[in-house]
Amino acid sequence: MKYLFFAAALAGIGFISPVVAWAAPGTTATGNNAVREIPALPANMPAWLNSTKNNEIFYKRGAYNFAITTIPELNRDMNGVAVGHALAYEALVTGREKSLETTVWKQIDQVLKNAPRFMPSEKTLSPTFGQKYGVLELVFDWTHVSHAQTIDLLSSPRFDNAAKDAETEKVWDYYRNQGAPFTVTGLPMNMAWLDSQPYSQAFRRKYPKVNALFWGYHWLQTSIYDGLREKTPAEQKKMYALLGKRYHDVELYDTKRPFMPMMAETSPLFSAKYPDIANAFDNLHMLHDMVNDILASDWMTDKQKSEQIKRAVYMMSPNAHKGCKPGENHGVIDGISHDHRFMVGMPGMGIMKNGINNAAQLANLEMKRHEGMNMGGMAMHSAAPSTAKAEEFDPTRLMWMPKMGWMDMSQCHHCTMPLTGGGDNPLSAWQNSTVSAEGWTMRVRCALCARDMSAEAKGGAILSLSTEDPHKRVIVFSDDRGNLTTDYKGAVFLEDEEKGGHPKCSQWSQAFTSRAAFDAYVAKNPKFKDSKPLSFEEWANVEAEGTPDTYEQEKGPVENPYAADLKARGIGTDEGEKP
Amino acid sequence: MKLSPLVVLGMLATLGAIRPALAVDHDNIDADRPLDFDDAETIAFRERASEVGAGLAQRRGGKLGLASDVEYLYGFAKNWHLNLGVHPSLLGQEGQSRQFDVGDLAVGVQHNFNRETTSTPAFGFRADAYVPTGRGSRGTDFRLRGIMSRKFGRYGRLHLNADLNVNNSPNAGERRTLPGVLVGYSLPLGYPRRFDRTLVAQVGMRAATMSGDSAITNIGIGVRQQVAQRSVFDLGIKSDIAGGGNDRERFRVIAGYSTSF
Repeated sequence: MKYLFFAAALAGIGFISPVVAWAAPGTTATGNNAVREIPALPANMPAWLNSTKNNEIFYKRGAYNFAITTIPELNRDMNGVAVGHALAYEALVTGREKSLETTVWKQIDQVLKNAPRFMPSEKTLSPTFGQKYGVLELVFDWTHVSHAQTIDLLSSPRFDNAAKDAETEKVWDYYRNQGAPFTVTGLPMNMAWLDSQPYSQAFRRKYPKVNALFWGYHWLQTSIYDGLREKTPAEQKKMYALLGKRYHDVELYDTKRPFMPMMAETSPLFSAKYPDIANAFDNLHMLHDMVNDILASDWMTDKQKSEQIKRAVYMMSPNAHKGCKPGENHGVIDGISHDHRFMVGMPGMGIMKNGINNAAQLANLEMKRHEGMNMGGMAMHSAAPSTAKAEEFDPTRLMWMPKMGWMDMSQCHHCTMPLTGGGDNPLSAWQNSTVSAEGWTMRVRCALCARDMSAEAKGGAILSLSTEDPHKRVIVFSDDRGNLTTDYKGAVFLEDEEKGGHPKCSQWSQAFTSRAAFDAYVAKNPKFKDSKPLSFEEWANVEAEGTPDTYEQEKGPVENPYAADLKARGIGTDEGEKP
Repeated sequence: MKLSPLVVLGMLATLGAIRPALAVDHDNIDADRPLDFDDAETIAFRERASEVGAGLAQRRGGKLGLASDVEYLYGFAKNWHLNLGVHPSLLGQEGQSRQFDVGDLAVGVQHNFNRETTSTPAFGFRADAYVPTGRGSRGTDFRLRGIMSRKFGRYGRLHLNADLNVNNSPNAGERRTLPGVLVGYSLPLGYPRRFDRTLVAQVGMRAATMSGDSAITNIGIGVRQQVAQRSVFDLGIKSDIAGGGNDRERFRVIAGYSTSF
């Protein structure tokens, strides 16, 4: 019997080969009568992508872990997300893809409606997926741990807001610095380029209902950050009554969404304050999409799928972007985009699709590199604005959102005046207020903009009003009739438009934590000495004036940059106008 | 035939000894929690876990007694963990009154070689030393266990454990080396509607302590129930159904609790 053990041990050793063997680059495959080029694999992919080691690392210890259970409905919904991911992946890799939109969708939907109390083990739910794509599973698991811990931290009643901010940085450091290679980069990535691979969009076209679930999960996972931030436990519960209803009623079943939800669209304050973390989660969600698309691309063999998944993992890893910094664009090197520019006013958001050909811009840069720029291996040139014709339009300036149209992330989304601090300074991120409604969260410049914007929104809304204190916000709930309520006692408001008109709204429209704070502001700004301090009730009942005279609707290079994508999915493109 | 406490402990070690594995999840199978087999995976790097168990046991010809186990695990490196444990008991030999015995101190390590893939099972091993701290115990005993885990069916897993126990101070007529083999099976119950319970079952065979006795066959069944985010309750029953001599255990009913921190 003893020989059994040695045989097992030796057999085990034999399967831990660090050898990396990659397929020849640029192979082609046919599918649906089309010949498609399979992206070449980078030359020096790291050995860990082929490792069969488990390498599991325990999460950072902290009194906040599992604090999400203080909001039981949110806890269950997050657990349901894990089940949904795993069941869909397992079906995709076990020959049950034909039932994905029917039986499997029903199973997942049933779980989402009766979500489990404890987080299930995804690898137990999707054992075949784990067998086939173990490294990918490690990346998902380890990054999901960081996702969960940051959400736990924001949920924790045991930490005040300042302590949460400090600990959030530590959680991020722990994620990156435990010697685990299987992390996701915090650099902004060009989302348009990542979503233009030969296999891109296959999943959302073939499996629109399950794709809606995936994007619904990602909507919840991204929305919840600003949802939880700087709220009391009671406010968090009220918040989730609204957000959870939206998740279950709308977001899980929205098959018309043009692109996955982005952190900055749903949690702009968090994304501005922690751009690295926001980018990492967006990159993680994009990796999910890329994997979905690869698995749904029948024109590739299993081996080619496996290689493309490894390429996708590598593209999202810090290894692939050593030496790169946010804001730089080094084009495509060895088949991988190093475009780390971010949207103006939002460091936590890579470049979005905007109707011009980002891929062409990047290819142009690569061509220049080959034409003689001495790059020195993987060396980079400095932040390089692209020079192709298409760049008459700055791809970092405007982005497009369904029902909102084109927008500049550095501007107030109600009055289009510049956000306080420009919107992209993590240190001043707290100075802007937000409105959450209809599935989005938008930054606004002043309390009036927040109130009036919420009045225009359909259904309930949550206003998070900045005050003079970086860690105290006045949280206001709006019901579907526009009635405003708050739990915050003693808040005082300034609203005196005659002191400068809307261009100076951030000066004359503010929330304060107390009368003393209001008085201190007036003492520093004597022009408000005659302005009346408003109670919450007085402020909440001021009649909304509609769109401010400063508002200007932005125009992009095309009406709707997702028009062709939506058309390919059989979806109309009449969603591009601002309501 | 009278058995020394050392032999009793050796038998208990052979039955269930000291093994770890992931304590925090009902899917992670761990010897003694509640059956005897391990899965091939270790706990995570830097994870700490504690496991306790207690129950009733009766050996052939002996009185009904109490058996328990306490264990601490620590993931000291990637794919490695350390375990420390004792098995206190209050058991009686045939014709003797029950005696409390703190049991030997078990110190061991477990290593996982690889993750399971489509072509390869997960492999691991564990090595344990049993320091003679128990009543009448002498000599340090060892156990080496090879572990192989493999998906079986849609969600189930098979776990093959091959043991080699070394009794360093055998009495006359006792074997110095006691090989054994266990086949374990784990199956999450309730998928895809509930995700908090796993059924475990085992069948195994091991050499009897006395060289003249035939090999002992044992079976067991149990359940692991997640009771909190990081805690699992387990309940199981196992029995030696054939072979052996006085080292054969009629049954053992055990309830346990595992938590990580």
